[in-house]
Amino acid sequence: MKYELVAGFETHVELATNTKIFCSCTTQFGGEPNTHCCPICIGLPGTLPKLNARVVEYAIRAGLATNCEIAEISKMDRKNYCYPDLPKAYQISQYDMPLCKNGFIQLSNGRKIRILRIHIEEDAGKLVHSHGSTLVDYNRGGVPLIEIVTEPDFRSVDEAKEYVERLQLIMRYIGVSDAKMQEGSMRCDVNISVRPEGSDKLGTRTEIKNMNSITFIAKAMEYEFNRQVDLIESGEKVIQETLRYDDVSNTTSSMRGKEDANDYRYFRDPDLVTIHVSGERIEEIRTSLPELPDKKLERYINDLELPEKDAQLLVKYKKVADFFEKAINGIKTPKTAANFIIGQIFRYVENENEKEAFNIKVSAESLNELIKLLDNGKIRMNLAKTTLDKMLETGQKPSELLSESDMAGLDENTFLSLCQQAVDANPKAVADFKNGKEKAIKSIVGFVMKNSRGKADAVAAENKIKEIISQ
Amino acid sequence: MVTKDEMMKIAILSKLFVAEEDMDKLTKDMSEIISFADTINNASDEGTDFDNINNLSNVLREDCVVPSLDREQILANAKDSDDGCFLVKNIMK
Repeated sequence: MKYELVAGFETHVELATNTKIFCSCTTQFGGEPNTHCCPICIGLPGTLPKLNARVVEYAIRAGLATNCEIAEISKMDRKNYCYPDLPKAYQISQYDMPLCKNGFIQLSNGRKIRILRIHIEEDAGKLVHSHGSTLVDYNRGGVPLIEIVTEPDFRSVDEAKEYVERLQLIMRYIGVSDAKMQEGSMRCDVNISVRPEGSDKLGTRTEIKNMNSITFIAKAMEYEFNRQVDLIESGEKVIQETLRYDDVSNTTSSMRGKEDANDYRYFRDPDLVTIHVSGERIEEIRTSLPELPDKKLERYINDLELPEKDAQLLVKYKKVADFFEKAINGIKTPKTAANFIIGQIFRYVENENEKEAFNIKVSAESLNELIKLLDNGKIRMNLAKTTLDKMLETGQKPSELLSESDMAGLDENTFLSLCQQAVDANPKAVADFKNGKEKAIKSIVGFVMKNSRGKADAVAAENKIKEIISQ
Repeated sequence: MVTKDEMMKIAILSKLFVAEEDMDKLTKDMSEIISFADTINNASDEGTDFDNINNLSNVLREDCVVPSLDREQILANAKDSDDGCFLVKNIMK
């Protein structure tokens, strides 16, 4: 029998606010243990939490960017559980009135992953287990999170991977989080079940907790899918439980039996008052949103006429897209800018992290200047390319690297004489070309390019040379 | 009515040890407490907005950092500490 994967995601995203959700301690990553703490975030009795206005704004941004409805009225609830990473023995979260609900993210195959809800809550502290005891650091305790919960709409591991990538990109575009999985500012829990293909009943699900890389998510989902299929095929039952994924052995193992929602004894937090967001405020936030990745991609392909693959590479990194847009300001050929970035500049930022940070020596304004010289016929492509390489090495501007004579272009007489010289100086290549070896022309053109210091137009030179040879 | 099984579950969730011989009495007490709380259902709540009793909403804070406390103060009431961290009994089995 063939089986189908059914999965849903719960993603925690740390918001890039300056302070924690209910107190004014910094959210900065790192720092000596327990140095970003105060009586509120270590849960001392008698303290009063006060909600950070920016948390509400960022969560609404995230909701609007994922097509959610924003609740004009919502509230905070206590989720009770006893574990030392939670100093109050409850987490302040949202239960039945989340800030955002009923959104979706559309995948490239056209399928919509429905977003059930996005709520705001506080992060827990960090535990380190050593020598038979547990050390607790509350620096992260109280850092604001949004939890984005999907419906069980995933039918393949590839869909899951694309969703996580898209979500990550959206969060970065709207500036609410750096969404760095390796640093824990974006973490995923995945609910997985299997069912016979064609069935519309959901099987018993397991939940894999706290995964912080897309590769692990994919591997864990594949492993868990196969494990559940094996159980069913051998007549056993899948037990509803929470699992941990071990990336070294590539297996999942049980953490604890799944607690019912009732076990958390959710109730309204009496310390925190109702959150009202007016319709005008929601619209204000909506209009402040930047162009989202999907729309940008569409515009690059349709309006700027970039090939889809190039457009995707530019849109994938927010800083690259910003750079590209500055570089094409007032330029007739956006494709040239795309080629320079993807073909040449990307060689200086090889891996994903470097592309993400996009720290290069060339400013968008300098690239813009270079492309304008090219567009206006002041310099030829070859010279533009070598100049860009120098710009990337030294950080100098085109005007500092190119002399008057470089930009003077090539007058017709010099060009004609260079073409004639090229033919005279390369009798072998000329003979080869005449004998049908088309490629031989390239070395003759190369002579012109070299001796004109890249100023000649290679296509014009090739045509001219062919003309001379055929005379 | 609360059952003995439910009591056991609550005890486990609360991390309380309850001796078997105390179970009957505790179950009875808990049932009485809950039925007493039920009497509140008979009170009239007409016109009361329980979600907004103080008529307060949007008590919000600007996102500005205030220096945190010194670590010594944070750890002052800890039962035990080590390496700048709160030290608790090992929770991993």
